[in-house]
Amino acid sequence: MTALLPALIVGFAFGWILQKSRLTQYAKIVNVFRFTDTAVLKFILTSIVVGAGGIYLLKDMGLVALTGTTPTYIVGNLLGGLIFGAGMAGAGF
Amino acid sequence: MSKVMRWFKSPEWSPYIGGAGLGLLGILALLFTDRLFGASGAFENVAGSIMHVISPALAENMYWKFIMPAGFGFGVMMLIGIFLGSMASALISGTFKLRAVSDDQWVQVFGPSRWKRWGMLFGGAILLEYGAGIAGGCTSGLAISGGVQLAPAAFLFMAGMFISGIITAMILYGKRY
Repeated sequence: MTALLPALIVGFAFGWILQKSRLTQYAKIVNVFRFTDTAVLKFILTSIVVGAGGIYLLKDMGLVALTGTTPTYIVGNLLGGLIFGAGMAGAGF
Repeated sequence: MSKVMRWFKSPEWSPYIGGAGLGLLGILALLFTDRLFGASGAFENVAGSIMHVISPALAENMYWKFIMPAGFGFGVMMLIGIFLGSMASALISGTFKLRAVSDDQWVQVFGPSRWKRWGMLFGGAILLEYGAGIAGGCTSGLAISGGVQLAPAAFLFMAGMFISGIITAMILYGKRY
């Protein structure tokens, strides 16, 4: 159980940030696809820039190892994204 | 100090602050837990556990044996954390509300019918989980966790997500797009 406490803490902070950025709102999600509110794009791209900078710095210092990310499989990644996007625009999350 | 508190309790943060905060959280998560984010996979883990009760034979298939192991592990715990964290944030900023139909914009475009909204939520969620299953992750598990590690899969996924998201929104909104 104690091994799972960090997961709970990371999840708690993650949920907090998503709610504060209003990404839990239907309109926020759908409007990025209508180009009327680009908060989702700003959010994702900022997190990648900050996260990638820090993680690659720590990786080069030998402090972290990458998680062995999802393998590149062009058809699967792209097709999954296409199906995912349709659901995202419909449901709004 | 009261300024900081007011900002802390404010209902909306700039997406740049939120995004930077999530980037920092990702760095800390990788440093201290050797893992990153994920949300969609937890539903499959729980589904696997339920399958073990309903139909143990089905739960022994390739999918739950190798790809998405059943059980209440790291991912499920994180999902519970996400729920609690967003609820705490909503309560503290005073925006917590129970609603049958979620949004003003939705009501303007699609009307006040709750079944329409719930049907669309359910159908959309099926597409989300199915797409995430094929791609290898969702917005958090692949786009962000993969993106911060510069995995090509994350950027392919995001390209697909925006292409079909834009087309779907155009179809659903019609003239109102």
